Amino acid sequence: MTVHIRMDDRVEADRLEDMAQGVVGKPLDRPDGARKASGTAAYAMDSLPDGACFGVLARATIAAGRLEGVDAAAVEALPGVRAVIVDERMLRNPAQGMAGKAPVQDPHEIAYFGQPVALVVAESFEQARHGAIALVLRLEARAGAVVGPDDAGVEIETPEKKQQSSGDLDAAMREAVFGVDQTYTTPVHASAAMEPHASIAQWDEDRLTLRGSYQMLRFNRAELADALGIDEKNVRILAPFVGGGFGSKLGIAPEAVAAAIAAQRLGVPVAVPMSRQQVFEGVMRRSETTQRIRLAAGADGRLTGIGHEALVSNLPGEKFSEPVTQATPFLYRGENRVIGHRIARVNRTCAGSVRAPGEAVGVTMLEIAMDELAAAAGIDPVELRLRNIPDEDPTQQIPFSSHKLAEALRSGADRFGWDRRRTEPGQVRDGEWLVGMGMASAVRVNMLVEAKARVSLSSDGHALVETDMTDIGTGTYAILTQIAAEMLGLPMDRVETRLGDTDLPPGSGSGGSFGAASNGTAVFMACEEIRRMICERFGCEAHDLTLKDGRAIAGNRSVPLAEILGGEDLVAEGHAEPGDAEDKVRQATYGSYFAEVGVNAVTGETRVRRMLGVFAAGRILNAKTARSQCLGGMTFGIGMALTEEIFHDPRDGHIVNRDFAEYHLPVNADVPQIDVVLLEERDAWANPLQAKGIGELGICGAAAAVVNAIHNATGVRVRDLPATLDKVLEGLERQGG
Amino acid sequence: MPRYARPSTPDEAIALLAEGGWTILAGGTDFYPAQGARPIRDDILDIGAIEALRGIREDKGDIVIGAATSWTEIVRARLPMAFDALKAAAREVGSVQIQNTGTIAGNLCNASPAADGVPALLVLDAEVELASTRGIRRLPLRDFVLGNRRTARAADELVTAIRVPTASAAGRSSFFKLGARRYLVISIAMAAVRVETDLQGRIARCAIAVGACSAVARRLERLEADLVGRPADAAALGVIGERHFDGLAPIDDVRASAVYRMEAAREIVGRALADAFGTTAGQGVAA
Ligand SMILES: Cc1cc2nc3c(=O)[nH]c(=O)nc-3n(C[C@H](O)[C@H](O)[C@H](O)COP(=O)(O)OP(=O)(O)OC[C@H]3O[C@@H](n4cnc5c(N)ncnc54)[C@H](O)[C@@H]3O)c2cc1C
Repeated sequence: MTVHIRMDDRVEADRLEDMAQGVVGKPLDRPDGARKASGTAAYAMDSLPDGACFGVLARATIAAGRLEGVDAAAVEALPGVRAVIVDERMLRNPAQGMAGKAPVQDPHEIAYFGQPVALVVAESFEQARHGAIALVLRLEARAGAVVGPDDAGVEIETPEKKQQSSGDLDAAMREAVFGVDQTYTTPVHASAAMEPHASIAQWDEDRLTLRGSYQMLRFNRAELADALGIDEKNVRILAPFVGGGFGSKLGIAPEAVAAAIAAQRLGVPVAVPMSRQQVFEGVMRRSETTQRIRLAAGADGRLTGIGHEALVSNLPGEKFSEPVTQATPFLYRGENRVIGHRIARVNRTCAGSVRAPGEAVGVTMLEIAMDELAAAAGIDPVELRLRNIPDEDPTQQIPFSSHKLAEALRSGADRFGWDRRRTEPGQVRDGEWLVGMGMASAVRVNMLVEAKARVSLSSDGHALVETDMTDIGTGTYAILTQIAAEMLGLPMDRVETRLGDTDLPPGSGSGGSFGAASNGTAVFMACEEIRRMICERFGCEAHDLTLKDGRAIAGNRSVPLAEILGGEDLVAEGHAEPGDAEDKVRQATYGSYFAEVGVNAVTGETRVRRMLGVFAAGRILNAKTARSQCLGGMTFGIGMALTEEIFHDPRDGHIVNRDFAEYHLPVNADVPQIDVVLLEERDAWANPLQAKGIGELGICGAAAAVVNAIHNATGVRVRDLPATLDKVLEGLERQGG
Repeated sequence: MPRYARPSTPDEAIALLAEGGWTILAGGTDFYPAQGARPIRDDILDIGAIEALRGIREDKGDIVIGAATSWTEIVRARLPMAFDALKAAAREVGSVQIQNTGTIAGNLCNASPAADGVPALLVLDAEVELASTRGIRRLPLRDFVLGNRRTARAADELVTAIRVPTASAAGRSSFFKLGARRYLVISIAMAAVRVETDLQGRIARCAIAVGACSAVARRLERLEADLVGRPADAAALGVIGERHFDGLAPIDDVRASAVYRMEAAREIVGRALADAFGTTAGQGVAA
């Protein structure tokens, strides 16, 4: 029995509030935590079938051109090597998130340095790796490859659908009492998930089973089937544990398709793990961005105009482009607006979603511009933002579903001691350290994605939740277990959640911060149906039924569930779908960041001393896993502000710093104690749980708080991230004379 | 097919080296990353099983560090205060995993301008001991590392030990490293100093070295000479001038600009000296 909900309108009833078990929202440990801590949770490469061979990808060493062939025979003669595979079905790059079909295929056409072009399969991993690096590729380089968005001859698209304007921004800029017109840049970023990509393919006649490290199994299954030209009914994907994704595992990637082709050809299971270097070069990057931001304001700091024009890049033919300006149309007021979006087509590693595509870099730079406006207007940065919160979505002219930015700003300022900030930069010195405070708003669009889940209540009063949704370290096992335990009145240890298997009902997948709300709603709906069935058997009305600790209670009756079920199992499937609610109201999550930094006046080093994030994301389903997401997001923000930057070689576009030694994620010693506050909020437009996404909110502007704090500490404004020590020192010297 | 040998004594190793064509492998933390996507074509002589090359001992008053001694072993060893700079450098070579595996001789033989071990060993006047079937020779470290990725080691020689003469194992030492983040980072610049004071608290001898600001880490002899005889306190730092850094020739790269390196070098030499004087009083790098 499937019960369905389409979010066309508000859901008035806050059903979770009526429940009695009291587990939703609690900071509970993950049910899978002990297995992860003890190393018994099986990630992709932990489940090698007997007799598996290993495949290692060989990759192109030119920016663009053709693969004329490979010297297979020499490598096939090496010990242990079973095959050298070049197959038209192999992928150029991973599928974009939610594509549901294969990306560009055929390894003969080379579009970037590092593109996988062949797979060497051998009995051991070492033999395969040796074969892959020994394999001679006959490459025909194409003249005129363009590897950088600023290179001569670069083709730049200006998609009409992605340009927007209203009013007259130029006039608003001319008439503005205070204005900002600056260009900002962010570099290429890497997702840098801890677990590198890996796939193990195994065929049973015409049925393929793939163990992989993927975020969105229902889409990945369709993509894999499409790439191989087979029916998706014959494909099963398993990903019970995923060691982080941050967008890099949204779409099926080259190693999965290569593993499937090899396993079929050789008739043995084939595992294709990618090295860290291969992941950096052959998966997805976040595009670099150039952003021109214009702000026009009156004497009171109220915005009359906002312009946000972005240049990003991607490979030829890729549909995705970093949606830099996604939140700009509705974050602040201002009648005169220009949104611009241009895409440079370059021969570089594919650009795709990296945690909070759009807002992560777009809001960050907008929030640096807002800080510049605050300084120009002599208005406190918190106050400036408060004055510019619109009453409705100023672009679409629809109401907000709920809006907690003002509360996040005020309570954050209070908690952080913002009133101690000196308005004038460079006023606070602590030895050779200059100390300053900065802040920024946080905003991220909220989404619901179709999801199904099955809940079974066994006759002995245990529940099982099943969906192909993944837990990529985010806490899906925890929150789905909590929702079912709450709705069915069961202790946590009587509910089991099974994830990451396409044989289970298709969930939304992990992406875009929509996983918890979408799949949570599916589980909730299934549980509502089971409650209805219990009512039928118990002979009571839905609103009279209380389920708690395995007992059903109505009026003066309290009976163990097992007794009501009488040896029967109850099974229901929940199905959630987005609907018109998305067009009726503007749904988003909001927050604020506050940072205090010390900048060394002599060396230019920046140390974040304290950081606070205040976030509102509707009902918080698990205070611990939600907080962890925010901590992770803000740590990303510190990296974006200070150290993270991919360098492409200007000659052939290859990624120079393709490992963790040289791609500088913040280390523990770079991150201070981070304080996170989660505001009470319910959003009835979002879904019946009244919960919204929180996985990405922590990075949607966080870096701006740090960069703005550097300005407050030193007077130095860094507009091209990251704010490395030499840039800061140069700025200090320029102003010091 | 390349050959692979894993001898258990230095003599076996040098006998093999005498045949020619071998590449020495110690911890492999420089060797493997340098391979990139090329197959290993060299014959590999793995010295990881030669116990005699590990550990720290005293020999006629000299302190002798076996070539294959890991950074972790150096951190844990009981050594005079003059070795504090070396220990501090050891603690900042990569991460703990790298320190468990990487060796001191590997760091010197790899001859990277950013090798953290070099400045700390330069201020200890360390010597490199090389063995081959032709015999044993010792070279001062400054004559051993010749340039970026270049050393005075002949192809048939094995580095067997690093020796620190008794006379140089005196005084206090300090090391400062500056990188783009707080840990697990290749140096933008680093400095090591060793200071000996007389009974009046004046600087009797002093050694200062800067790394990552020239192809090979360098001693700043003029500064050393100018400091001798002054009281070891913050006022002594006043003599530091631009001329003392003439010998450095930093480059622009992805980690930092040359201009930045030069200024950073000046700053961290001051910090390291202040630390060795014991007068830092709350200054210096905050963690
Ligand atoms: C992630 C990472 C981070 C790092 N961070 C740092 C850092 O912060 N600072 C730093 O200085 N270094 C760093 N390194 C480099 C490296 O770890 C050190 O230089 C280490 O000391 C090298 O020692 P090894 O034993 O691993 O050398 P190997 O890689 O085994 O050898 C290096 C070279 O020395 C030669 N060699 C080794 N032993 C001998 C011998 N006894 N006689 C003759 N030749 C020999 C080898 O042939 C080779 O050419 C880092 C490396 C990695 C992978």
